[in-house]
Amino acid sequence: MNDSIDLAPREPRGVLGTLDELLRQPRAGFARARAGMPVRAWTLRAIAGTLGCWSLYGAGSGFFAGGWQIGLAAVKAPLIVAGSALLCVPSLYVFGLLAGAPLTRARFAVTLTGFVGMLALVMAGLLPIEWLFSVSTQSLAFVVWLHLALWTIAMIFGTRFLRAAMPEVPTGALMLWIALFCLVSFQVTTFMRPILWREPNAAILAEGKLFFLDHFKQALR
Amino acid sequence: MTTMLGRLLHRGDELLSHILSDRPLGRTLAELTLLMAVSAAGYGLVLGMWHGTRLAAYDAIKLPLVLVLTSTFTVAFSWIAAQALNVPLRFAQVAVLTFLALAAAAVALLSLAPIAWFFTVCAPAPSSATRMTHNALYLMHTTFVGACGLTGTRTLWHAMTRLGRARSTLRRVYLVWVLGYAVVGGEVAWALRPFVGSVSPKFPVVFLRQDALQGNVYEFIGRDIVPYFWSRRRQ
Repeated sequence: MNDSIDLAPREPRGVLGTLDELLRQPRAGFARARAGMPVRAWTLRAIAGTLGCWSLYGAGSGFFAGGWQIGLAAVKAPLIVAGSALLCVPSLYVFGLLAGAPLTRARFAVTLTGFVGMLALVMAGLLPIEWLFSVSTQSLAFVVWLHLALWTIAMIFGTRFLRAAMPEVPTGALMLWIALFCLVSFQVTTFMRPILWREPNAAILAEGKLFFLDHFKQALR
Repeated sequence: MTTMLGRLLHRGDELLSHILSDRPLGRTLAELTLLMAVSAAGYGLVLGMWHGTRLAAYDAIKLPLVLVLTSTFTVAFSWIAAQALNVPLRFAQVAVLTFLALAAAAVALLSLAPIAWFFTVCAPAPSSATRMTHNALYLMHTTFVGACGLTGTRTLWHAMTRLGRARSTLRRVYLVWVLGYAVVGGEVAWALRPFVGSVSPKFPVVFLRQDALQGNVYEFIGRDIVPYFWSRRRQ
């Protein structure tokens, strides 16, 4: 991560340019927000790119079951991340402010978009590996562990980004929020089940309430 | 109230300067109390919703009540402790600082309400077969309340560091205050139970249990919890 960007750099063009900047100069967005430059267009492009990356990752995970599940997982994966982020937004904002981070609306938008964008980029980078393992195994338990491992890798990069974005927040508090975000994402995944495997003619969304630990227990059996 | 929320979140330093000045604090105290009550009521609605709307409504009243009663019971001791430990704060300043910490905790709790709401909505309905769900929800709410309480006391510590006293003195006062909140808050919450509600038909949804003031939480821990774990350890 390049820490030397302090002057507000020129805004990149297009969705790919925005994702490229997020990867190479993750602090460029903050620099623009701090300089009072508009960040709305950047945020919208980053969100579009993020949803695209997540959709690709979802499609990759759908190759485990194949068929329609590829398309369904491509739709569900971005919804899972968007849902988790929406549920966790208020807590990140309030805890950040109470910790002393001078969060303006623009800086917070850049922080949150950058965080989920970083997760999406790492997941997109892991896509070929995910696809390879998804098409070469018939074990649901193995694929579940694989996704958990990939999610952990993405979280490490996401945490790194968040620490750079909100240096005022103590690392311990940030780690707790990350843990909370992970737990919420697990429960949202359970809510959106089935994702990796669906019985023939089963519903697109399973009925009944289920706690994520019970869901994982069922999947790992 | 939204003005006070803005001051608490965005202009904390200005708010602290106001509290620590010689100006009258009645209006600030009233605004902080309102903010704390509304925020705690919002989380209270989610806290009780697993058992239906009745307990949700009860908790929307009881959770703010826990905070108000805890600060009311502790404020006199907090003021005396500050004087005794050579931190000359006015009684009104101690009261406002107490409510400031609790308001920060309540706002932090409210920010976690969407997450608590989602987990509650996804939980199977209460029955004797869902004891694990009950325990998981209980653990989640306890963790949230504990973490937000710590966040609130961090705001308090931040305020105290502006008093210009030796850090060791401030630390003593801070610890005494926080200990006071924790001990009294634990008992007040225990007396006002149930919050999450029980899965046992023996304990229906009520505003206050009949035995609310028969025994306290520390007696319960000493009489029931510790012997239980002790017997398990010996097995």
